Parts: sequence; structure tokens; C-alpha cells
Amino acid sequence: MIHLRSVTKRFGARVAVQDLTLDVKSGEIFGLLGHNGAGKSTAIGMMLGQVWPTSGEVIVCGHDVTRNRRRALERVGAIFETPAFYDYLSGWNNLVILASYTAPTSKQRIKEVIDWVGLSGREHSRVKTYSHGMRARLALAQALLPKPDLLLLDEPNEGLDPEGIHEMRQTILRLHRELGLTILLSSHLLHEVQQLCTRIAVIRSGRKVYEGPVAEARRSTIWWRLVTDNFDIAVARLRAAGLVKSSTGQNQIELADGVASDRVVRFLVESGFNVHEIAREESTLEAFYLSLMRDAESAPEANADISPAPTTNISNTR
Amino acid sequence: MFLLQFRNELWKLFGKKRTYIGFVMFLLAQNVIALVFKYTHASRPMQRMLEAGGQVAEHYISALTIATIMLVPSAAFLLPLYVALIGGDLVAKEAEDGTLRMILCRPVSRVRLLMVKFLAGVVFSLLLVAALGVFGLTFSRMHFQWGGLFVWMPEQSIFSLFDPSTGLSRYVAGHLMLVSEAASIMCLAFMFSCFNIKPAAATILALSFVFVSFIMEHIPYFKDYQNWFFTHHLNLWQLVFAETIPWWRIFQSLSLLAGFNATFLTIGVAAFQVRDIKS
Repeated sequence: MIHLRSVTKRFGARVAVQDLTLDVKSGEIFGLLGHNGAGKSTAIGMMLGQVWPTSGEVIVCGHDVTRNRRRALERVGAIFETPAFYDYLSGWNNLVILASYTAPTSKQRIKEVIDWVGLSGREHSRVKTYSHGMRARLALAQALLPKPDLLLLDEPNEGLDPEGIHEMRQTILRLHRELGLTILLSSHLLHEVQQLCTRIAVIRSGRKVYEGPVAEARRSTIWWRLVTDNFDIAVARLRAAGLVKSSTGQNQIELADGVASDRVVRFLVESGFNVHEIAREESTLEAFYLSLMRDAESAPEANADISPAPTTNISNTR
Repeated sequence: MFLLQFRNELWKLFGKKRTYIGFVMFLLAQNVIALVFKYTHASRPMQRMLEAGGQVAEHYISALTIATIMLVPSAAFLLPLYVALIGGDLVAKEAEDGTLRMILCRPVSRVRLLMVKFLAGVVFSLLLVAALGVFGLTFSRMHFQWGGLFVWMPEQSIFSLFDPSTGLSRYVAGHLMLVSEAASIMCLAFMFSCFNIKPAAATILALSFVFVSFIMEHIPYFKDYQNWFFTHHLNLWQLVFAETIPWWRIFQSLSLLAGFNATFLTIGVAAFQVRDIKS
């Protein structure tokens, strides 16, 4: 559904996206992860033909966006982090206006979409009277108007309260289940991505550092909770002995390949440390993401602008 | 589709309160000017001038004459301000508010979007000039009798007297020509609006361009080059008030304004086409 081939985008001297290759298959919920400013929105902007790639190819729904934007975006809907509307007009009028940039849309279709997102009864009120959640629903309604096959969601949970986030999550799942949409979700809310997406790509400083299934990513990093007399010194000793690969500031360690927890405990006890607790933690996308960011940070080429992006495959790095 | 988008663009434009600032200001300014003429001795110099020429002053100190007198400063200062305000808003305000990004996730071409917006700007210019003419005549008629038209525009060497019906037709023709001034300044602001700048900056840049052109046009040493100045051609509406209308000069200015506008539009479209639209 979406194919990015070695796409690079430079804003002057700054490289926003570097040599990005990405494939989003039909029918999947694909997560695009990264810090703020990692290049996610720029990548989505290029998919929508709003940002011109410096080099590379962006194919959406089988058409090159830069050459045939009209055909590429005919069946695409998008939602941005802070959806903007004509606040002085009603929700209905906003939908009429935005729909006219795609194709003539019947009143019946607009009503249908309003019902679907649950805005019925408020569609003729001015948008400036809408709550944040209602604006999010209106944003969803405008995205659904052209009967899309593909939905691009750029930080759709931004500014929503926990209830709104929950509602948005259910809506995304419903869109996928009932309408069979392919969804690309850009977010830095790892918990959300973990619950929604089947596959993810992680972008750091404009480079893709991982692409693969969420389940695989979650399996890839196993953190152990370790409580000792002095965690920092214990970890330093464990590292020196080659038993631990990495650690976090929250009493978490990642064991080296082939090392079991009993070896770690034995080593610590023999080294004079009291081990109060060691337990395997549930593997989360967050843990994977953080370890990935640390790995990328420690790799000197990750911050260089010119060298090619090290696309890490989970199976050959872990 | 184009008509539908054009209709929606007008809907957006006229749904905003700030679009009406110009209309409200004309309403107030022209009312005040008409009252000042009515209740002060402001018309005395005009009366003396007419009587010195052997004319019956009462016949020419009329609603048409007062409306035309009001037109000169309004066309020189207020009209450029309000059309530049709207022209500068057309693209830049949508970019600033984020609605441009919402539009451009649709499969509409950027050129078409600009054309629709530009045409909406032209409609606004036309309606603002129409309001200027109608308000001027209405308020002056409330306080002055119907009569002939006396026009004195020393800068254009115009000193004309018309009977009421000819005066009215010249008044209408003057406003038709004034649309070209309004649309051209709107187009200039629209061009700046297509760049990645704030709406206020687009308006200020357009007005600066007009003022610089005006200043240069009025430097005596540049008199031989005045045909090169944008503002020189914006004044073509005044020529309609000459006893004998210099049509060749009007067509010359109209064609040059068409050239200026085509250039502004081309630059605007090119700038917008290559621009990255980001939040």
C-alpha cells in the first residue's frame, strides 16, 4: 500500500529523513515510531505529497505521489496531531468543504460518516464549540469521507485525555475490523502502538533503525529486575564479566547472549553482593524501543548525515 | 468540481468576520465624511471655484460630487489596505491555522487550489469596490441633493463638469475601473501569501510595495519613468472622470496591470508549488 524507496528529505543543511525504505502492506496496522522530531511527520508529509522528497521514490496505492498525486491520494484519508478546521463554520460545512477537494460527495455520505463517528446531533454546531474529543471525531469523519483504503494517522492521540485515547484506540481497531482499512499510525505513545499495530518501523534522527513485527520486537529484549546492595557497582562488575549487555536506571538489566539468571546470581553472591531480588519482567515494546535508541546512540554513524542508514533486522542483531 | 470548490472558497471567505472589516470601515468613513461636508464649511472652496468659473455652485455641490470626493482618499488608502489584508490572508492564514495541511492531504492540485482562492479574492475585490460606490452615493444622497458632477483632480489635470446622468455613468465607470486597482493589489498580496510567511507579513509586504512604488512615482526626477511604476497604472480609474476619456491610456494601463498580475500570479504559483507544507 505504501512503498518508500531510499527516500531522503533535506531542509537546507538539515537532514530530516535519510535513505528511508519502508513497506506497508495492505490490511495491516503499521506503527511508525520515533521521538519528536525523528522525521515521522516529514515521512507522512511525503506520503501525502505535502513535502517534496529530495531523492527517492514514494509510492502510495500503486502511484508515485510526486508524479501522480491525484491518483495516489484518491482513496487516502489522513488525520494530523492537532486537526485544524474552519472554527467559524459548522462541522457539517467543514466536511462539505474538505470533501469537495476529493470528489463531489452526497449529503447521504456525509451523514453516514457523521453517524459512524458519533457526531450526530452536533454536526450543525460551529466547530469552535466542539470539545477536543469532538474535534478528533470530526477529523476522523473528514478522513473517512473519500471511502479510503488507506488511513494515515499522525499522532492522533495528541492532546486527548485518557478516555479520549481509549476511544481513539477502539475506533482504530473498529476501522480496521469493520472497514478493512490499511492504517499507518505515527506515534510516540509506545503503549498505544503495542496494542494496535501488527508491524512497526522505528525512526531515529531520520533513519530507520528497525522494521518488523511488534511481537518479534517485544520478544527481542528481555529485561530482568535486579535488586542488590549497590546496583551501579554490581552492573559494572557484571558488564566486566561479560554477563550483562545493558542496563537501565530503573534496576533493569539485559543479560548477555547465552547467560542465564542463575549465573548472574552466583557471580554476584561470590563477589560479595547481597541479591534481594531478581525477576524476569514482562517484555514490552517500550523496553525494546529504549534499548534500540540506546544502541543507535552508541553507534557513531547513527548521527552522521551522509552515511547510509543501518537498517537493523531484529533477527540478526539480538 | 471547480465551481463547487470556488463556491466553498467564497463560503470560507465570507464566513469570516475579518472579511467584513473593509465594508464596515467604508460604511463608517463615508458616513462621517458626508456629515462633515454637510455640517461644516468644507464645501466653500469648491463653491468659490465653481462660481469663479461662472457655474451655479448649488447645482454641482451634489450627492454625486461628494461621493466622488470621498472616493479619492478611500481608493488611495483604505481600499489597498483591505484588499491587501484579504489577499495576504488567502493562503498564509490557512497555512498558519493548519487548514492548508488538511486540504492538501486531498488529491487536489496546488495550482487549482490557488486559482480557486485567487478568484475568490477577485470576487471580494469586486464586492468591496461595489460597496464603496453604493455606500458613498447612499450617504451623500442622504445629506445632499441630486445634481451634476464636479470633479477636480489636479494631479491628472482633470477639471470636469457633468450633467447628473453623465455624472452617474462616469461614477459607475470609475468604480468598474477601480476594480482593477483592488484586484491588482489583492493579487500582489496573494503572491506574498503563497510564500512561507505569516499573513500579516504578506499584507505588509504588499502595502510596502505599493507605497514604495507611490513614493518613487512622485519623485519629480522620475517623471520620465512613471510608466514603469505599478501605482501609476492603478490610478487609471481617475481618467474616466476626464471630459474626454483617454481610452488609449486606460487600455495601456489595463494591459500593463494584466501583465503585473500575471507576473504576481506566476511567482506565487511557482513559490507555492515547490514549497513544503508542514505543521
